[in-house]
Amino acid sequence: SLQEAFAAGLLKPGMNVLVDKPKKLVNNVEGLKQCLADFRKDLPWVERLDLTNLPAANIISQAEEKASAPAAGELDADDDFQREMFFYRQAQATILEAMPLLNRHSIATKRPEDYFAEMAKSDQHMQKIRKKLISKQMIMERSEKAKKLREQRKFGKKVQIEVIQKRQQEKKAMMSAVKKYQKGMTDKLEFLEGDQKMNKESSQGSKKAVNKKGPSAKRKYKDQKFGFGGKKSGKKWNTKESYNDVSGFRAKIAHGKGGKKGKGGKQNKRPGKSVRKKMKNRS
Amino acid sequence: MARDVLWRRPAYLNTVAGKDISLPPSRILHGKWTNKERVLIFSSRGINFRTRHLMQDLRTMMPHAKADTKMDRKDKLFVINEVCEIKNCNKCLYFEAKKKQDLYMWISNSPHGPSAKFLVQNIHTLAELKLTGNCLKGSRPLLSFDPKFDKEPHYALLKELFIQTFSTPRYHPKSQPFVDHVFTFTIADNRIWFRNYQIIEEDGSLVEIGPRFVLNLMKIFQGSFGGPTLYENPDFRSPNMHRREMRLAAAAKVREKQMVKEMQKGKKTSAKEDLESDVTADVFLTPAEEKPADIQTEAPEPKVVKKKQKAYVKRRALICKYKENCI
Repeated sequence: SLQEAFAAGLLKPGMNVLVDKPKKLVNNVEGLKQCLADFRKDLPWVERLDLTNLPAANIISQAEEKASAPAAGELDADDDFQREMFFYRQAQATILEAMPLLNRHSIATKRPEDYFAEMAKSDQHMQKIRKKLISKQMIMERSEKAKKLREQRKFGKKVQIEVIQKRQQEKKAMMSAVKKYQKGMTDKLEFLEGDQKMNKESSQGSKKAVNKKGPSAKRKYKDQKFGFGGKKSGKKWNTKESYNDVSGFRAKIAHGKGGKKGKGGKQNKRPGKSVRKKMKNRS
Repeated sequence: MARDVLWRRPAYLNTVAGKDISLPPSRILHGKWTNKERVLIFSSRGINFRTRHLMQDLRTMMPHAKADTKMDRKDKLFVINEVCEIKNCNKCLYFEAKKKQDLYMWISNSPHGPSAKFLVQNIHTLAELKLTGNCLKGSRPLLSFDPKFDKEPHYALLKELFIQTFSTPRYHPKSQPFVDHVFTFTIADNRIWFRNYQIIEEDGSLVEIGPRFVLNLMKIFQGSFGGPTLYENPDFRSPNMHRREMRLAAAAKVREKQMVKEMQKGKKTSAKEDLESDVTADVFLTPAEEKPADIQTEAPEPKVVKKKQKAYVKRRALICKYKENCI
């Protein structure tokens, strides 16, 4: 066809490319309308049960005040959830509109309790569906439980770590205080009592009124002699200090002037031989 | 008897509360069936399991449907009209499978009326476990249409066709008198989306029963399976073209990558110029003005200095002397 055009002198100099005519698509509006007019059967609504309506108001999006597009404009076919909700709401609107109409024409929508008839899906199939739903629910529950356990364990672990760290810090502080004392940097022995005081105060604050004097003197002596381990047998040594130690010296006793217990012992004293003989001869 | 089919139920339900209910209850359908609408649903050869199940599901949903054997694809389409006449049907749903991949659906009004061809996509059948609803077999559906169907003439024609095909006639012997499910036809993305919901509560809670599919309109013809074309969908791309476009796009990507690689290779291996003299070196040279040479014949006077600057002064003096000696 290019050559023919050239022969007829229609072509201009330059590149002449053979271009396809754009495809013309048929849209015979008149024909469509005519066809529809011929074809339509004007049946009463009861026969057809059809309704045309927009979807019902979206309660959820209204609550969240989302002015989403499908309210007025195009429905996005790729957003699955939105699209399905749109269809759902369209069906809902149909039902809401249709119920009064059906009631008027006395068409039942609810079947009576004793009406048994075949269903579109068999009972067996519905059992399968039910089982699947239950299993899904179980899986979800199990995963939730597992997550919670994991969280708990993590939390427990955290607490454990914290306690250990606290202990380590305390030990460190104690050791450094001891070292300081040893090196003579501080002469206070408060660090020793520091913990005990704190402990005592905290734990024995309530027991104060009860246990004022602590263990009795007898108990203390016995503890000292028998309790708490350690060497007891080496307590009496003849060392320079013990020789020089005159704290146990009682002068009155040493000089014989004290008497045993004053005059208390005399009550039980036995008379001598001659007095006993006299007493015997008398009685 | 044909009527016994209506009351078929699982055997364990045969006695309830001591009553034997194998006898059919009194007919609730008190009326004459006037709207004689029959739909013939069948397919060509070479369909896959999904299509077969879809056909069965549609037959379940529509009690006014009849089945037929598979048609050979070698026969021309107008043979279908004769088949319809034999079966005494006035509507037809014909599923055509091509290449074992693409499914086309013809919907037509049999003797003279219009027909339309669609490409069917996204098929989900009744048997899917995620579609949990159920309805009576043969109950009449409510039909719900998008308002967009009324806006365009071709959509209006399709709406009429759907209404006549999918609505179950009242008092049909195989139908149940209750209305408990609703078919929705919606237009989105230039396609018609079909959904089937079960009505649970009258205030509008629904569960999907299925099946569900998407129809992509191709053409509308004035006659049944033939005749002049009334409408062609401009947005329709045949599945072959679609697949071809995908393949071309993939090929174009690969080719582009290769080209880029080659260019980079070429850059690396091409001979580089040796730059011995920089052509642009003289651009920024500005010749300075010639100053007259200043020769000092007498030594400059030493300034009065502070203690700190003694060393400095000494040094300066030394330098001057040296200069004098040279000159």
